[in-house]
Amino acid sequence: MLLSCIKKAAPVLASLWSLGALAGTYNLVIDEQPLEIDGKAKNAMTLNGGVPGPTLRFREGEDVTINVTNNLDVDSSIHWHGLLLPYTQDGVPGISFPGIKPGETFTYRFPIVQAGTYWYHSHSGFQEQEGVYGSIVIEPAKREPYRYDREYVVMLSDWSAETGDQIFSNLKGQSDYYNYSQQTLGGFFKDASQDGFAATLRDRLDWGSMRMMPTDIADVSGYSFLVNGKSTDDNWTGLFQPGERVRLRFINASAMTYFDVRIPGLKMTVIQADGNNVQPVGVDEFRIAVAETYDVIVQPKEDRAFSILAESIDRSGFARGTLAPREGMKLALPELRERPLLTMSDMSMASMGGMDHGSMDHSAMNHAAMAPSQSQTVDHAAMGHSQPQPQAMDHAAMGHTQPQPQAMDHAAMGHTQPQPQAMDHAAMGHTQPQPQAMDHAAMGHTQPQPQAMDHAAMGHAPAQPQAMDHAAMGHSSMAAMTDTGGDYAPGSGLTPTAANGGKFLVYGDLKAMTPYADYRAPDREIELRLTGNMERYFWSINGIKFSDAEPVRLTYGERVRIKFVNDTMMMHPMHLHGMWMQLDKGNGRFNPLKHVVNVAPNTTLTVDVPVDAIGEWAFHCHLMYHMASGMFRKIVVEPPAAQAAQM
Amino acid sequence: MRFNRSIALALALAASSPLAIAAEGHGHAHHGGSTIGQPGTAAEASRTVEVTLNDMYFEPESIAVKAGETVRFVVKNEGALLHEFNIGTAAMHEKHQSRMQLMMDHGMLTPTGINHEMANMDHSSMPGMEGLGHQEPNSVLVAPGETSEMVWTFSGDAQLEFACNVPGHYAAGMAGEIRLD
Repeated sequence: MLLSCIKKAAPVLASLWSLGALAGTYNLVIDEQPLEIDGKAKNAMTLNGGVPGPTLRFREGEDVTINVTNNLDVDSSIHWHGLLLPYTQDGVPGISFPGIKPGETFTYRFPIVQAGTYWYHSHSGFQEQEGVYGSIVIEPAKREPYRYDREYVVMLSDWSAETGDQIFSNLKGQSDYYNYSQQTLGGFFKDASQDGFAATLRDRLDWGSMRMMPTDIADVSGYSFLVNGKSTDDNWTGLFQPGERVRLRFINASAMTYFDVRIPGLKMTVIQADGNNVQPVGVDEFRIAVAETYDVIVQPKEDRAFSILAESIDRSGFARGTLAPREGMKLALPELRERPLLTMSDMSMASMGGMDHGSMDHSAMNHAAMAPSQSQTVDHAAMGHSQPQPQAMDHAAMGHTQPQPQAMDHAAMGHTQPQPQAMDHAAMGHTQPQPQAMDHAAMGHTQPQPQAMDHAAMGHAPAQPQAMDHAAMGHSSMAAMTDTGGDYAPGSGLTPTAANGGKFLVYGDLKAMTPYADYRAPDREIELRLTGNMERYFWSINGIKFSDAEPVRLTYGERVRIKFVNDTMMMHPMHLHGMWMQLDKGNGRFNPLKHVVNVAPNTTLTVDVPVDAIGEWAFHCHLMYHMASGMFRKIVVEPPAAQAAQM
Repeated sequence: MRFNRSIALALALAASSPLAIAAEGHGHAHHGGSTIGQPGTAAEASRTVEVTLNDMYFEPESIAVKAGETVRFVVKNEGALLHEFNIGTAAMHEKHQSRMQLMMDHGMLTPTGINHEMANMDHSSMPGMEGLGHQEPNSVLVAPGETSEMVWTFSGDAQLEFACNVPGHYAAGMAGEIRLD
């Protein structure tokens, strides 16, 4: 069964297997041809005549030879996303090689030293947006550690009738070109009547100083979203027999679109992220950043169709496929959920361009009147309220139903000294393991005393009146379950929740299956601030765009901690070529290895990079138009000085 | 001695939840009118089957037994993570998985082992936590690098699987068939 699937899904060309040594030759042709998808016709860029290109199936330990022929009238390239290889084979024009001229064939040769789900795409211009992408599946040399009956690649992408050049020039000319949900003058007066004219004006001025709008969730709209090149109407279908375990290899090949992925009726067990095995974790929904991959196992037991729903995070549409026992089955698409709005929490102080927030009269802010979804999002810690909260603030009305991560440090809990009078386990309602069902209000946290609550320093140290010593408690797994694990700024409008109220994957849930042997403290730390100006459509790192920047120099053998600080109001999927990033969510030697990490607005995220690949590598935001406008660095990995001197 | 230590762990867990078997209704193992068998003693065992726990699979992947046969299982964990060897029906495993999830949520279990301090706490007064512990006679929890053993007499009445019910593991495929010869 598995074999027949693999055969069907792998139109790998001219596979040439020599006897004994594992070696394969593959041919890819990049071309241009008219294509109509979801009623949008254009001259698409294709790989071997299709979008996406063929699934390349390799085996760990194989030496691959891949001939890539460029039939376009412009330069092209193929980058092997997530693969560890000699940098000259990495396929980034201007860094790894000169690119592939029109009419020429470039032959890539490299050994396959890893296993898992990856992908490939053009690294030239906006060709990836036009269709030059495909999937890679690498079979492990040793036994596959998971057991499943079938597997399918589920490649998500965004498809536009416009060319990448048109989209980019629209964004450069008018950054809100695609923001169809702008707040209007009418909305201003509506807000003003509710919140007061001054408060509304101030709020709008804040957004203005950020060059952002609360509706700036995605830069580009008007996309059709595809599953393996098929629109929702064309309904890509993966077949199963009821009771079978099915592995789905999700790849987000979009130029600009993040998706929230769910399969109503099925629990998904996440087993791999960015090609690396993780300790299996059951979820109801997960967010896939641009260029990430997640593998899940599902076990549909009923004889019916299940929709694979990938809802764009700006809620402009679905990529939809179907798992079904027979061809031709499909369910109705559900309603799109409400479009999220960015909040003040998504605004970092650094990005506000020297606004004097100290002069803001917070006591005049009518928090109670704010919509519940926004009021709970106000991040007092980030706002720097060193003063005790004004008595007038009605915290109860603020809708603090979601515990603020920094407020409840469950991670440090240890239950060594249970405080019976404070910790009412009987009232915790632990009958349902769902974290969302946990009613912290019933945990014995009577009503927070507003005047005593120091939001800026919420560590629940001894100052707390409840006598609950959270600092000494130890529910390590609860921390990740009850909040976003710091993936988003507390109160961020981007914080996801599962459509069925169940478990939404957070980065802290991703724990490597195999502990990293050489886990140790980093040798040094590099801070990279993600910066930009939405209105001028200028994206950069540390305020400097790629064309003006010096490369980042690393030394072979060192272990470097990269601290990303997102000073913008957009999420950035940061991608490092050639080396792993060990995403640090406090899982130590089980920190997972990733090639893309999502950095949310007004958050800091750290990764450790074992610098183990000499050469010149690309490092960039994988949002295509952010990369193009300068959120990009070259990384140069040099031999240690002593070694270099001997050479 | 490593071997004894893991047994001791299981017993320590057991002490906190004397009602586990009765509450759960398995163990002596009546399930849907059929029985899954019962614990045996090493002296009764006709043979020994060595089972290796890996991240995320069993070796062997299936085991053949005869009705009425008593088998001694020597279970070695060669992985980096905590695993279980549990004999039961698919429905029993599913039920056990939600309990294991609760134990994980409460810090009694971690991905790599058993938290003695948490496991020894009396959680039994908490609603939904009654009898939470890991004492089932049809199961052993084995920490990485440890070896444990279990003796089981098969009734031949029920369709059985051996499985690891540490959260996520069964769903990822860590289960095998027990075939009746």
